[in-house]
Amino acid sequence: MMGRNGYRNRVELLQGTLDMLILRTLQWGPAHGYGIVQALRTQSGEALQVETGSLYPALHRLERQGWVRSEWKQSEANQRARYYRITATGKKQLAQDLSRWEQMVAVMGGILKSTPTE
Amino acid sequence: MSWWFEKRKDELDEEIRVHMALDIADRMSRGESREQAETEAAREFGNAALVEDVTHESWRWRRLERFANDLRYALRALRRSSGFSITVIATMAVGVGATCAMFSVVDGVLLRPLPFKDPGGLVEIHESGKKGPLSYGSPYLDIDQWRQRSRAFSQIAFYSSNTGRASFLEGTAGTLHVGSATVSANLFDLLGVHPALGRGFSVRDAGNSVKADDEHSLLLSDAVWRANYGADAGIVGKTVVMNGERFSVLGVMPRGFTFPFAGSNTNGMPLVWKPLVLKDEDVLRSHNAAPYYDALGRLRPGFTLAAAEAELKVFQPDVVKSYSEPRDREIANSISLRRYTDSLIDGDVRKALFALLGASALLWLIACLNATSLMWARALGRRRELAVRSALGASRWQIVEHLLMEGILLSGCASLLGLGLAAGILKLFQHGLETQYKIHESLTLNLPVLGALLALTVAGVLLISAWPTFAAARASIDTALRQGSPQQGMGRAQRRMRAVLVVTEIALSLTLLVGCGLLLRTIYALKHVPLGFRTEHIVVANMTIPSYKFAGRDMTTALYQPLVDRVKGLPGVESATLLTDVPLGNTFRMIFTFSPKGNSADAIRRAAIEAQFRAVSPEMQQVFGFQMLRGRFFNAGDTQTSQAVVVVNRAFVRAYFGDDRDPSKILGENLVSLGKDRRALVVGVLDDERQVSVAQSSLPEIEVCIPQITPESMFYKVAEGMSMDLAVRSQRSISLITPELREALRTASPDLSASTFSTMDQVVEDSFGSQNLAAHLLEIFGGSALLLCLAGIYGLLSYLVAQRRQEIGLRIALGAQQWNVMSLVLRQAGWMLVAGLGIGLGMAYLGTRALRTLLYGVKADDPWTAGAVALVLLVGGLAASLVPARRAARVDPAEALRAE
Repeated sequence: MMGRNGYRNRVELLQGTLDMLILRTLQWGPAHGYGIVQALRTQSGEALQVETGSLYPALHRLERQGWVRSEWKQSEANQRARYYRITATGKKQLAQDLSRWEQMVAVMGGILKSTPTE
Repeated sequence: MSWWFEKRKDELDEEIRVHMALDIADRMSRGESREQAETEAAREFGNAALVEDVTHESWRWRRLERFANDLRYALRALRRSSGFSITVIATMAVGVGATCAMFSVVDGVLLRPLPFKDPGGLVEIHESGKKGPLSYGSPYLDIDQWRQRSRAFSQIAFYSSNTGRASFLEGTAGTLHVGSATVSANLFDLLGVHPALGRGFSVRDAGNSVKADDEHSLLLSDAVWRANYGADAGIVGKTVVMNGERFSVLGVMPRGFTFPFAGSNTNGMPLVWKPLVLKDEDVLRSHNAAPYYDALGRLRPGFTLAAAEAELKVFQPDVVKSYSEPRDREIANSISLRRYTDSLIDGDVRKALFALLGASALLWLIACLNATSLMWARALGRRRELAVRSALGASRWQIVEHLLMEGILLSGCASLLGLGLAAGILKLFQHGLETQYKIHESLTLNLPVLGALLALTVAGVLLISAWPTFAAARASIDTALRQGSPQQGMGRAQRRMRAVLVVTEIALSLTLLVGCGLLLRTIYALKHVPLGFRTEHIVVANMTIPSYKFAGRDMTTALYQPLVDRVKGLPGVESATLLTDVPLGNTFRMIFTFSPKGNSADAIRRAAIEAQFRAVSPEMQQVFGFQMLRGRFFNAGDTQTSQAVVVVNRAFVRAYFGDDRDPSKILGENLVSLGKDRRALVVGVLDDERQVSVAQSSLPEIEVCIPQITPESMFYKVAEGMSMDLAVRSQRSISLITPELREALRTASPDLSASTFSTMDQVVEDSFGSQNLAAHLLEIFGGSALLLCLAGIYGLLSYLVAQRRQEIGLRIALGAQQWNVMSLVLRQAGWMLVAGLGIGLGMAYLGTRALRTLLYGVKADDPWTAGAVALVLLVGGLAASLVPARRAARVDPAEALRAE
């Protein structure tokens, strides 16, 4: 029991940012699940390894919300794979998420960088 | 939906497979060995099953999947203990079946909406006075006064109807017997119903009679239109022939419209409506001179029934002032209103129906309690199973869901089966329902019935699975697992609860059975009322007389005499008679009233006499075998040319003389004239007999002799032209003699071949009416309740004995005698029975009040009935507990203790 709950907790912690990262990746063009993981890894300089246990639920959730759409296509390696594509509402959502993120970074930065006055 | 779900699952599988494959391919291209790449990819991917699981949950269908799983699991669990499931389903089905059948009867009789606009605003207007409300209607002049003066009614219409199928409509498919009503032009408008085809009658003037142009026109009911004219859309304007007269068809009324004939059996009844055209006699102002009409008003919005009645009452004395005779004024100087919807069903019948519905609900409750008791036993036996499941990771909610699903399945199956039972019950009682409540359809699955079924199902689920789920939700796993053997059953509190269930069952069953017992005694009393005539071996044919075919001829000699002679000549026929209505037949009633002369006290009393009027053949005495109190009955010597004679009954003498003077005094009196200069003398007095219903004592009656009636007689039309029964005494079986009688009738006149046949025994049974039907229904309900209740006692005691095996074994080992052990069990049964019967007697005392109007010859709180029923339950209950008691006594101490 513990295992699953712990897993879920991690998903929840990541949720807001993971959605944003996925949408951002898909802005470069349609990709399959493995492609997204790889793209995030390269872009983060190998620092970020997205858990598949978070990725797939997130993709399906985004699809249900209408922010991404999926279809089965042949991959470069001539393998049938499910490709996800960002939708117009997805793009709008991403823009919103981004601005909120920047706001938060600014606020957090302001607090964290201020030196305590005695 | 589950197909869609499976597809998505497969897609997810493939997606994960592709992910791994791509990863492996990538790693291999970076130079890793295949084996290494596969392990690494799998490690990096993590737990694929968990990923799938978590992803599933992000789908909305997750809930549905769980539902499907629960359903599958519950089905499997129930199939595994099929004996238990079948018992529970059958038990509950009995309850649902009874309740559903009764509800659909109540729905059909009381709740079905009428096909009129705002039926609640329709009011019947009756004149009332010294004799109470007059049932035969009011003359046009009075109705017109109400129309002019009343503000409470927006419209008042009037009509007259002949009941039965007394008119003969010639059509493309032969001659059809139809009922007909003569209606004022505004009636359809008042009802808010308009012809589906063609137009209605046009109003001539404010008085709402019909324009003379429309006089020879009629409207057809949907049933007539279909049956007789093949639903010909061009029927409007065509000419049809009814009773030998020509009418042009104005229109066709919508389907289901049968006013003024009410009740659901009239749905397919062939009817025609004729326009009411006022005649000269409609404006006469003396007794019996003007025709009477039924008046129907529509309340203006804002007026209550009471306000309308008060208003009419104010000016009614003024209305009747125009009557020439003071006596006519006295009987009509007030007004009594009744809602049309209330007139459709008798208050007593309504009460009886609700009482029966209540009885069926009791049966349902008993059945559910029984099922609950079974579910408890099962839940206790399954404690370990459930504990194991929850130890393996099932959440409490999942277990509760699963138990609920079992309840839903059981209750659902029971409802389906119950529906079948309900249809069966209704089929079984079809005849009674038709004669008593005019219900013709079998079970109709309309919205209210389905709603009731659903409510019963849901309530059933809640009742039977409430405790098991509650207990499962609270149970602690380790105690259940540690306790070990599944038969280490329930605790003290639970045992007591189950006993309470059984006690409740006993109490409810007693209530039902007391009701049943009271009705059986009523039936017994009714069957032993001296009727005053013999009923066995008599076949009765109810004929509709095509009198228009005999216009200008004497029906006595042209139709009736030859018919009786032919029937008497049939093999096996002992005697045959004609009579306007057999006793208790209630198909045709005529009331005879005197036209008094003078104003003496005697004359006034005689004017108040209302006597049943009947025209009969002299052979009636041989057929019915009744006794003469004084004088003689009609005989072959009474003919058209002999002295005119009448016969009266004892009740008539009593009413006529005002006391029990010697009945022979009336012999030789002249009461009526059969025609000009044919004064009829009383030649005999009949002993009392039952004419209207078995429960109703004898009414004054006067009889005339059919062979003496000639077309000149004032009785000719009513006595011979409308309705006539043929009663035949024969030892042959009814199925053999009926075809021969039908043939004889057909030969006499082709239209008579459509007569309906019955037996006198059946007529008597039908006249017991609601009691008979209610008694039979209650027999079934009560019998089922008794069985369920005994099964409940047996089940609980068997369970207790099984549970206490070790204890009993120990007792026997320590020297307890067989009798001691048995009395242990019987004591338990005893206190449950005593408690149940005690409570039940109280409930029966209250509950049987609802039956009071149905009872005859027995009181609702009859102690003998209650006592006898309680005794039956007591003996039955002890017998049911004897089996487990003996099982307890035979426990082998060695074996029982070894199991410990």
